[in-house]
Amino acid sequence: MVLEVTAKTADGKEVYNKERHYHPQATDCRSNKMLYGAQFKTQYIRDTSLQPLETKAESFEIMLPDGVRTVDVTVSLRYEIWKPDHKIEITSISKMVSLDR
Amino acid sequence: MKFLKLFLVVFLVMLPISAFGKKAKTIEELAAMYDSSSCKECHAEIYGQWEKSHHARSLMGVLGGLFMTPLAMKGKTPFSPDSPDKATLDTFPCFKCHLPQAVTSADDAFAVDYAKALLKQDKARLGKLSITCIVCHNTKAIIHKKSEGHPEANVLYGSKDVAKHEDAKFKTVKKSSIMDHAIMCGQCHGMGPNLEFENPVQCATLYGSYQHNYLSKGGQKSCQECHMKKVDGVADHLLAPNWNDLEATKKILQEAISLDVDMVGYDWLLKSKDHKPMVVVNTRINQNAGHRIPDG
Repeated sequence: MVLEVTAKTADGKEVYNKERHYHPQATDCRSNKMLYGAQFKTQYIRDTSLQPLETKAESFEIMLPDGVRTVDVTVSLRYEIWKPDHKIEITSISKMVSLDR
Repeated sequence: MKFLKLFLVVFLVMLPISAFGKKAKTIEELAAMYDSSSCKECHAEIYGQWEKSHHARSLMGVLGGLFMTPLAMKGKTPFSPDSPDKATLDTFPCFKCHLPQAVTSADDAFAVDYAKALLKQDKARLGKLSITCIVCHNTKAIIHKKSEGHPEANVLYGSKDVAKHEDAKFKTVKKSSIMDHAIMCGQCHGMGPNLEFENPVQCATLYGSYQHNYLSKGGQKSCQECHMKKVDGVADHLLAPNWNDLEATKKILQEAISLDVDMVGYDWLLKSKDHKPMVVVNTRINQNAGHRIPDG
């Protein structure tokens, strides 16, 4: 599961991109190297997956470059099933944010 | 009298072993032993749902991948034999859940045949094996074997008793104590590492998450209530998600997960006379499934 936040200027230039990855991560307990494959995995070393009946909150601070006062921000949540290009976008929310009133 | 007692003890011990007769030595023999195609005659809708499920291609994974192939390749995993001819049932710990009938009803010759088919990537033959109706409705239907005995050879198990079942082999349906309980699915969908093997194996841990991190928060739904919702009064045997169906899976994920976003732009006074133009994006992902997402 990947949460991606992107900010672009009015002319489409990307000024910010960050991802948060949510998934259990396992090793074989013989080293601290994360492994895929049930025949190797022995124990989770870290678990950042979305837990049942919980809310995962994040805050992203986007420092804008000089002269940029307005950006289009897109927040996308996707499920990468098998490999990154085999994915499902669960939702995507976009909004124009301006520092000027 | 003593002989009679001995005979009864031996008979009772051997009964479950012999329930399906001799052990399968080939893919075709095991497929035939657990063939459920006759179920289609009366349960066409359920069978049609099952055919699209991952249970119907339990050795294929997502998009047809033969995930057990490394186990048959020399040096690829701790379980791999030097050659497919030396494969045994122990070579494939994944059989525990992905093909439970191999554990109960096949011998090492089957493992050799299976290893060779894997190395040939012979999907036509491997596709004959699956979690058929018989696996859940017989082999895995009883977990309290000391209290209730082993599954009987000519009996299917369901959520209710059916005195007369129109089938050439399975003439009765008995109520299983667990068929509508989460533990039915939990037998395979994982508590954590499987430590009974000579090397640990960790696959799905969904049932562990359900037990320790869903029930503990007051959740009370069973696996079946979400993954086998009733369609016209009958449990959906698609057992969604079908990961090969991206649109349907998206819908399920959207039912379980929601995203709230708030944004604000302002000039942040980091230090005196030094305003920094900044946008803050606050996100909240709400997860209402009965287990972690993703798992495994």
